[in-house]
Amino acid sequence: MIITPEILNKQKNDFTIIDIRSDEERQNFPLLGLDTILSSNDKSINVAGKKVLVCQFGIVTEGMIIEEKINNAFSLLGGAQAWVEYYNENEDLSRWARQTVLPEIGIEGQKKLLNSQVSIIGMGGLGCPVAQSLVMAGIGKIKLIDNDFVSISNLHRQPLYSFEDVNKKKILAAKSKLKALNPEVTIETDDVFLNDKNGEELLLKTDVIIDATDNVKSRQRIDKISKKLKIPTVYGALFRFEGQVSILNVNGSAGYNELFPNLNNNGEDSCADAGMLSMLPAIIGNIQALEAIKLIVGINKNLIGKLLMYDGMSHRTEVIEL
Amino acid sequence: MINVKVKCFSQVKYALGVDVLTFELNENTTSIDLEKIIRKKAGKKLNNVSLRIAINLKYQKKEITLQDGDEVVFIPPVQGG
Repeated sequence: MIITPEILNKQKNDFTIIDIRSDEERQNFPLLGLDTILSSNDKSINVAGKKVLVCQFGIVTEGMIIEEKINNAFSLLGGAQAWVEYYNENEDLSRWARQTVLPEIGIEGQKKLLNSQVSIIGMGGLGCPVAQSLVMAGIGKIKLIDNDFVSISNLHRQPLYSFEDVNKKKILAAKSKLKALNPEVTIETDDVFLNDKNGEELLLKTDVIIDATDNVKSRQRIDKISKKLKIPTVYGALFRFEGQVSILNVNGSAGYNELFPNLNNNGEDSCADAGMLSMLPAIIGNIQALEAIKLIVGINKNLIGKLLMYDGMSHRTEVIEL
Repeated sequence: MINVKVKCFSQVKYALGVDVLTFELNENTTSIDLEKIIRKKAGKKLNNVSLRIAINLKYQKKEITLQDGDEVVFIPPVQGG
């Protein structure tokens, strides 16, 4: 069983709180505001009554309670890391404990995600998995831009929509599913097709643009706005069993119109023309989401100035330096 | 003569039917010469597809003379989403 820092704080007098961590961890992350007993042996863990076990990140205790069948025991979600954050900042980030335990994310990275805004243009095959993963990761505000309706032909590859959503606006159906995944996320919807007139205003306050469109013209338009507003774009595109991803327009790095100059809209297959299995947009969309997360958190190993080409048939990848 | 490997993706792969091709080329063959060879081999299948090129994983904006052992990726624009 699991208990969050917020609930523990309200009910702490009902529990014996047992800190199973090392002396070094206790010194570095003291559990201020909690009366704890220290456990270096099994006897103290087996005290009678309800108890909360605390380790550094909430992972060891969760496993321990199950494996050792400890009765009436709760694991503190996010462990001491989440408690310290809650006690000092009055912010319960424990639901993202499995992310904050990653040293590359940590509490500071999670706060950056919670305070960021991402705009997703196109809520189709790519937009759905991108939105889903970003909402689950804790992005604070997501703007969905699309004016299309859910069609029955979308359902095989766009996991935010179900049969009951057919003929509904995609952005509204998506918003409802995304809010169920994380009720705290702010979802803004714009029932428009992004064009030269509305584009800048729509994207003005965003930290990262996700290009999840399905045509060259939209991609070129997004690129111009991204470059002008100096807002990075995470580009993703699909062709049958293959896909491409790049982070464009970061501090003067290449944009779509430099990567593919002088394109016209002829001869390039769309999903409708070329066909698509659902796994490809899921793979490529999730790589886009991953790159957006890295960009926001500030992880330097990323696809800025690089183009990832992925072939899902042979699982070949190439990363081209732009 | 030089040997050059071409890694095929997307429209190029479907036009040529293979993942990888190896060419024996005259010295001084350029990236644009190779693109012409590829287009000829593809028949009409690449007629409306513009191609960018990377050599040894570096995107090339200009025509470049190929060297023995070079690995070439043609990058077609893909637009599905």
